[in-house]
Amino acid sequence: MNATTFHTGRLDPATIEIVRRRLEAIAEEMQAVMLRSAVSPIVREANDASASIFLPDGTVMAQSTSLPLLLGCLMPAIATMLRDFPLAQMRSGDVYLMNDPYDGGTHIPDVSLMLPVFAEGQVIALAGTILHHQDLGGLTPGSLPTTATEIFQEGLRLPPLRLVRDGVTDAQIMRIISLNTRTPEAFGWDLEAQIAACRTAAARMEELAARHGAEALTAMMQELVRRAEAATRTAIRAIPDGSWTYEDALDNDGVDLDRPVPIRLCVTVKDDTITLDFTGTSPQVRGPVNAAPAGVMAGAFFALRAVTGPDIPNNGGCARPLRVVLPEGSLLNPRMPAAVNARTGTVKLLTNAILGALAQALPERIPAANSGCATVMALSGRHADGSAWVVTEVMAGGSGGSSQGPGVHGVSTDVGNTMNLPVEAMETDAPVRVHRLSVRRGSGGAGLHAGGCGIEREYEVLRGPLTLTFRGERHYHAARGSAGGQDGLMAEAWVIRRDGRREEVRSKLTTVLSTGDRLLMGTAGAGGWGPSA
Amino acid sequence: MEIGIDIGGTFTDAVLRRDGGALRSLKVPSTPDDPARAVGHALSRLLGQGDAEAVRRFLLGTTVATNAILENTAAPVGLIATRGFADVIELGRMTRASNYDLLFGPQTPVDFVPPSRRREVTERIGADGAVVEPLDEAGVAEAARSLKAAGARSIAICFLFAFLDPSHERRAREIVLAACPDLAVSLSSEVDPAPREYERTCATVFDAALKPVMGDYLGRVEAILREAEIRVPLQVMHSRGGLLGAGAARGRPIRLTLSGPSAAAIGAASVLRDAGLADGVSIDVGGTSADVAVIRGGAPALRMDGMIGTFPVRVPTADVLAVAAGGGSIAWVDGAGGLRVGPRSAGAVPGPACYGRGGMRPTVLDASVVLGLVDPAAFAAGELALDAAAAAAAIERDIAGPLGLGLREAAVAIHRIINATMAEAVRSVTVARGTDPRELPLVPAGGGGGLHAAAIAEELGQTRIVVPAAPGVLAATGLLDAPLEHDAARGLGQVLDTLPEVELRAIIAELVAECQAAMAAEGVEAAPETLVTASASFVGQGHSLEVAIPPDASEPGRAIRDGFIAAHRAAYGHARAAPVRLVLLRALQRLAAPVVALIPADSAFAARRTRVAVLGGLPQDVAVVPRAALAPGEVLHGPAILEQDDTTLVVPAGWRVAAHPAHLMMERVA
Repeated sequence: MNATTFHTGRLDPATIEIVRRRLEAIAEEMQAVMLRSAVSPIVREANDASASIFLPDGTVMAQSTSLPLLLGCLMPAIATMLRDFPLAQMRSGDVYLMNDPYDGGTHIPDVSLMLPVFAEGQVIALAGTILHHQDLGGLTPGSLPTTATEIFQEGLRLPPLRLVRDGVTDAQIMRIISLNTRTPEAFGWDLEAQIAACRTAAARMEELAARHGAEALTAMMQELVRRAEAATRTAIRAIPDGSWTYEDALDNDGVDLDRPVPIRLCVTVKDDTITLDFTGTSPQVRGPVNAAPAGVMAGAFFALRAVTGPDIPNNGGCARPLRVVLPEGSLLNPRMPAAVNARTGTVKLLTNAILGALAQALPERIPAANSGCATVMALSGRHADGSAWVVTEVMAGGSGGSSQGPGVHGVSTDVGNTMNLPVEAMETDAPVRVHRLSVRRGSGGAGLHAGGCGIEREYEVLRGPLTLTFRGERHYHAARGSAGGQDGLMAEAWVIRRDGRREEVRSKLTTVLSTGDRLLMGTAGAGGWGPSA
Repeated sequence: MEIGIDIGGTFTDAVLRRDGGALRSLKVPSTPDDPARAVGHALSRLLGQGDAEAVRRFLLGTTVATNAILENTAAPVGLIATRGFADVIELGRMTRASNYDLLFGPQTPVDFVPPSRRREVTERIGADGAVVEPLDEAGVAEAARSLKAAGARSIAICFLFAFLDPSHERRAREIVLAACPDLAVSLSSEVDPAPREYERTCATVFDAALKPVMGDYLGRVEAILREAEIRVPLQVMHSRGGLLGAGAARGRPIRLTLSGPSAAAIGAASVLRDAGLADGVSIDVGGTSADVAVIRGGAPALRMDGMIGTFPVRVPTADVLAVAAGGGSIAWVDGAGGLRVGPRSAGAVPGPACYGRGGMRPTVLDASVVLGLVDPAAFAAGELALDAAAAAAAIERDIAGPLGLGLREAAVAIHRIINATMAEAVRSVTVARGTDPRELPLVPAGGGGGLHAAAIAEELGQTRIVVPAAPGVLAATGLLDAPLEHDAARGLGQVLDTLPEVELRAIIAELVAECQAAMAAEGVEAAPETLVTASASFVGQGHSLEVAIPPDASEPGRAIRDGFIAAHRAAYGHARAAPVRLVLLRALQRLAAPVVALIPADSAFAARRTRVAVLGGLPQDVAVVPRAALAPGEVLHGPAILEQDDTTLVVPAGWRVAAHPAHLMMERVA
């Protein structure tokens, strides 16, 4: 690199680096403001909210450190809001929101918010936040009904709307939402948290524009995007040209339990572009595992960032060399009114598939398949005093073995990075006893570097009846090994009734558990890397 | 006479304060193979004839505990857990530290307790604190013997819900010690009596792993003190900014993990007090990192959820943010043609290019030399001659050439970026937590603080900088000003309404009595200050808030509820009419150190002179003044450079600096 000279033009290299860090810090501050004032447990405990700053054309400029799944989902949401509310119509202080999965959204509880930032009379940036709200109606509390077969059962759809103008919140919009959520008070607080985060960003961006001038700031932001794109293209060029296919499948859609749902993908690297073609993927399904395109883009953005390297500035320039083909009416681009609430498992598997295809070109840099599951287990019932309770657990499997070493047991991978629920928290909140939380030894695929193992858990119901909702994955399709490594062990789960009857959980289940019933579960192991010695 | 010694990763700093306040300070290289040896080296240079007998206090700050965890050099530890839960330490909270890194390794301290050193025993306490299954006593003895056979030198005992009923853990300790009397034992119900089994297990495992290491190490320091004929008991700085006797420190070494940085924060608080101020923000700039701490009401702000590396260490600690920005931070050009500085550091070995020890990459210190801010002949009191030509060559080759910049331009760019990085760190402990940094004076410390302070302050809109008498040894001087402190905590995890006031009063009285016993064991006769705090949350909420209540409250439950609701509203902007859970009660006793203003020693430096330095981007003749040559009350206007043994203070145009006996007050005038 000693002979290379970079032409930075009239932009001074220190200022542009300082601005880059400032933008990232502003995104982090947005995240902190949002988490500090949000009330929903899923936000407070699992950090299920994200913040970003965008350029006026909708290109993402800086992202907070948060869930890759949500960060990716914010981009198409901003694009939709910009389409319906052009810059010329915006005023300082405006706030826009939307959640419609059929128009840039992901699933109903994720509400995206946008606030334009003005300097010298122009929109110079957009502040955006997305937050998983507690409830927006639909079949079940939480708006994630596992048995939904239509979006109409999943809750309230919001098209791009202008929520605030000239400092006044649109009371009619708020009334409509209030009438359609089981938790209007929490919705209001969490929405305030999102707005507060956007206003913080606006204040900071205005300071930045005042210091550098709006024109210079814009030039620097565009330069950062250009550089990210150029560096990403250089990194892609270093991947050999070619096409690689990968096939995987969801166990079922949660409604038709006997039918696997295939995800097929062909990744083509040509020169400095990457095309992800999902032609051949299952048509859309009855159950709620369909993924709106926003979720697919999140997985694609994650995979691209992960393989092109952490030294590249993280902004929308990175996404420009990427083309994604999603057949209409498929699992990954469903037509109305398919249900979409349970898309997390789908996005995890498709992210795995992208990485699995690229691993054929880059076996040293990409691990074998991770366990590809974020098994969701929710228990709900009523306390002795009649009040309702619900606890939700998300359980990971292992990470894949890689050229660098064995995989890690029981850890969130790729687009996910949520926390588990401590045993002591669960037993305090719900009438259950956990008897075991352990590494599912031997479940990682064998190899030179073994895959990470899944997790085993055993629960006993102390006071029934309660409702169990189980959304598993990898019960019938193993995480594949790479570079000669073996596949991981598949997941399994059993309900053991008090009288000793054993009922196998076929990946997805909703059932009633009585006092003394037990649930045994083991999440999938990840694939091993390299042939065993 | 009092002595404070702070053992860092690279240097061991020592100060000696005579009864009138006269200060001597020095730095000796640390000796990582046996950190106590550096204490001997420092003492041999610090103490004159007959001084040893005059030493009234000997205080130690140390990074040994932190480094033992970061480098996994603590003793092999065995874990005894509730049946079914030996893997909690391995599975952790399921998260990973770096989002986009595909090739990540374990995120939990698995290597401290590999599966071969984990045992499960039958026992169970329920969420209501009732015993569900009795303790299998034979199983405990068997586990202890087999762990010892597997090489364990200490045992961590972590049972579910032990914070509600510690009886099983206590009985297990008796059995372990009966079976293997030479093993050290730590109980989760004593180390971290609070819910969330992974975090509690981590703290307990680290505590147990540190016991043999810190026991040996403190023993060696005590031996060195005996050799030097210092006859006062050794006292050690703990993470929340107080001192403990060596005996208490050995018993709970997890409390020592943030010993050094919290001593520096105390030092910053003393400097502020000397200037008549109670609040401020300190930045201690070393070779590889900068530590930022907020001082409130004369003491470091605290946090309850510290981290070491990626591991949680849930003991109260000074809220010190470490960022990878220091004199050794390496400047480089990224794949997109952007200039970056850090996070990688050249460290002490090979060090910056100007060290001439084989380091080829340009660093922040190299830029400081090129800019004329640091005199190559006077670095570290002249003990290390810097190679200015090597500094220039490295910047020219790696930065100026590739980016098409002049040498000076490149050096200015490196400085601007590292200054902005440090300013971002200050922002993240102030602005991002709702505090306006403009109201807070900046306290620069460490070898590099003075070089960057004015630029950081200008970036943040701060107008006051308070410079310590001996910025390079702030942690060591902070030891002299730290209070003696003991605390005791009890985990409760119960809904506040279900706890009768009489019971709460009894628990508080017991906790205060525990503190009193610890104080008495240190020979304290004066009456210490007593504080009581409660950790509380709304039922169903994951995170708790700390609230202080009067130690003699007649209705502590009501005080906790009122305090919690007010604190919740202050922190989050709202509170609700929901039941409150009392997570933990803590009592603390504190005996303040005597206030003695420092009188710094005379510098070895020569007279005032001028040299060409780049300030504000332009080369100019700048007055270079030995700090010791400034008479109290004297005021100097920038541009100027103040030099002293261990640091350089840059005073740009638009700032003036006024000399006080034990600090400098630097103020922005334009």
